[in-house]
Amino acid sequence: MNQTLKSIIARFGFLIIIVAFVIFFSAVNPVFLGGDNLMNIVEGSAILLIVALGMTLIVATGGIDLSVGIALDFGAAFAIVAMKEYGFGWYGAALIGISGGAIVGLLNAALIVGLKVSPFLATLGTFFIGSSVQRIFTNGGGPISHRRMPQEFRDLAVGDVFGIPTEVVIAAVLVLAYFIVMERSIIGRRVHALGMQRSAARVAGLKVNKYLILCFVAASMTAAVGGLIASANIRMFTPLSGFSYLLDAIAAVFIGAALHPRGRPNIPGTVIAVLFLGVIANGLNLMGLNFNTKDALSGIILVSALALVVAQQKLRH
Amino acid sequence: MSASVLLMQDIAKTFPGVVALDAASLSVRPGEIHGLVGENGAGKSTIIKVLAGVYHADDGTVSIQDTPVSPVTSEVIHAAGVRFIHQELHLVPHFTVTESVFMGQEITTRLGLSRRLMCARAETFFRDVLDVEINGDILIRDLGTAERKLVQIARALIDDQARLVVFDEPTAPLASGEIEKLFRAIRRLKDRGIAIIYVSHYLSEITDICDRVTVFRNGRDVAVLDKVDENCANELIKAMVGREIDALYPKSGHTRGALVLQAKGLGDTGYFSDISLSAHSGEIVGIAGLIGSGREELIDTLYGLRPARTGEVTLHGKPVRFSSPADAVARGMVLVPRDRRRDGLVLDMSVSENINLASLEEVSCYGIELRNRARERASRQIRELDIRPDNPAIISRQLSGGNQQKTVLARWLATRAAIFLLDEPTVGVDVGAKVEIYQLIENLARNGAAILLSSSDPGELIGMCDRVLVMMRGRITHETSAVGLSIDQLVAMTTGASTQNSAEGHADAR
Repeated sequence: MNQTLKSIIARFGFLIIIVAFVIFFSAVNPVFLGGDNLMNIVEGSAILLIVALGMTLIVATGGIDLSVGIALDFGAAFAIVAMKEYGFGWYGAALIGISGGAIVGLLNAALIVGLKVSPFLATLGTFFIGSSVQRIFTNGGGPISHRRMPQEFRDLAVGDVFGIPTEVVIAAVLVLAYFIVMERSIIGRRVHALGMQRSAARVAGLKVNKYLILCFVAASMTAAVGGLIASANIRMFTPLSGFSYLLDAIAAVFIGAALHPRGRPNIPGTVIAVLFLGVIANGLNLMGLNFNTKDALSGIILVSALALVVAQQKLRH
Repeated sequence: MSASVLLMQDIAKTFPGVVALDAASLSVRPGEIHGLVGENGAGKSTIIKVLAGVYHADDGTVSIQDTPVSPVTSEVIHAAGVRFIHQELHLVPHFTVTESVFMGQEITTRLGLSRRLMCARAETFFRDVLDVEINGDILIRDLGTAERKLVQIARALIDDQARLVVFDEPTAPLASGEIEKLFRAIRRLKDRGIAIIYVSHYLSEITDICDRVTVFRNGRDVAVLDKVDENCANELIKAMVGREIDALYPKSGHTRGALVLQAKGLGDTGYFSDISLSAHSGEIVGIAGLIGSGREELIDTLYGLRPARTGEVTLHGKPVRFSSPADAVARGMVLVPRDRRRDGLVLDMSVSENINLASLEEVSCYGIELRNRARERASRQIRELDIRPDNPAIISRQLSGGNQQKTVLARWLATRAAIFLLDEPTVGVDVGAKVEIYQLIENLARNGAAILLSSSDPGELIGMCDRVLVMMRGRITHETSAVGLSIDQLVAMTTGASTQNSAEGHADAR
């Protein structure tokens, strides 16, 4: 009996934790389990999920990207300015926004591949530079509002596709694309190899630099998509708002990696982790907890959940 | 005097799923150098760890100086005068020699640490016990590898309580010239009545320095040789692998084909200069040289891991300039690196992933990996090269050195490589796997590959190669046919003891 219990925990440990939280939250407040609220959780997690996808890719290369928030801000800023100042249509604005993100990724790649700066310090530098650029551009950080944006652009955040919110659809498409590339394609195989052991990947003839550039640019462009949705939602660009996603995205990637049997950063793990973070935030919200205590509780839950995952991995062996 | 300084009897140790030791015994007499050999997984490191108190034996007894020790813990063993010289150096580079020797066992007076006294004591120890002069104030990072090894020995023996010292693969990081320095120190210890257990893969070292040898196989002691001389290497090999190995090196008979690789005037300031060499299809060209001779840097430069400052390389008659290994691999030139755990394999990937890593296009469709095809392909290579265990999903880290090396070779065999740079291909590989790797290399040559074999093992170079280039201080000093070359001659060339003229005589004889 004890043995079967152990093997069940070993196999489904983290899912059990999530289900336990869902039961607990719905017991405290029945609204939690309502269809509307569940969709709220998913919808509220969409931007974080998008940012976390790119972060998963970067962590798989053995690096970290502290400038995803900047890429998100650039995505929003470039799109809003393109529409407001230059009269671009919605798709033109979207493309320009994503290109804005690409600039951030290219700067990171130039520092990391060209100047051999470590990803941590390179993206930290990009973070400082990008933050300052935003303040200069907005004369100290005032938002750029664009109330009369094209409805199609606005729909990125508030529209729906066959009843499913557009941002959820966008996130789902990106999840699928990232899943195929990272978990099923030979590109993903190479990225994992160079992330685990750079020197061995190099000797095996992999074009390490090429893949590093690709990954950093792709991650920034992905974060910029998150920026498009954020700006469409509030119809303005708020400087430095992307930073709030950084730590959550990093947390999600590492929770997700802990869920993997070999500890690799992976897309399904990241998706589960983002939803887990969403469930906790939403559940604690519905319990009407004091705003100040919420973060502490989230932290405690997060650390305990991770400790359980580690215990679970020990059980497996 | 007691009959044995150490007696381990019927030691058994089982790990989940693996019997590491099965009634194994080991007996060491006072004042002898006792060799301990066996293939990887034979149980020699397990029995050493049982003695060290790292593992607790399931069964069996351990006696030191005829006194049973139970339980065997590291404290008791240390108190009984047993010391261990581990394979890794574990020294802090920016500590002085004196600080390193006395770390954790500092001499203190009422005024605190007595640096002068410790320094004098360390230097005396080096002079009187190990027969070398080492300044106690010099930094570890300024010492050569052999001296570092001696510092490690001094640290274990400075308290003058040692009766039995265990050396675990002590020569692994050393160049051949440095080994003699270490051996002299070990013999001095023996002269002082200290018994020694010497664990090594290198049979030439065993026959050189040991008085008696115990051979382990499959967790048991299968043979004890009471008399050791240079002629018993074959007997040792036979006992280690449990079957007759008629020859370490396969019979060679190569037909030299077209010129494939040629380098002219290759140079990299401070490492090597004016290197010209060529390799033909179907030919194995050896590169000999001590550590620091520029041999390693030359191989890395040919492969595009380092930029060449001067000179040119041509492949199949066309000039090439590799800025990264990816370029070399694309042109069919591949490297089996000397540090396979760092550069050879992605250790946390499976054997299948590692085998397919350089030829992923062939197991994919529009960039999507075809997992079944990848696994089948890996399984085929695993079967052909007899990689054990024969499970493509196993993590490479868990393989023995020989099987890891075979995995690196399997990866390149899966590509259409025509030029193989082999850098120390059998270092840390047990005898059985060595023979298989030699056969593989031989087959490659017969199938028309051009092979550059860089090695610090003169026997390997003579046994495998058609020609040998000798490097010293960054230059090729000799080029000679391997036929009729003796180990002594080759060693003399690598150490500079041989004259230029005799070598040119050899070159003409080709």
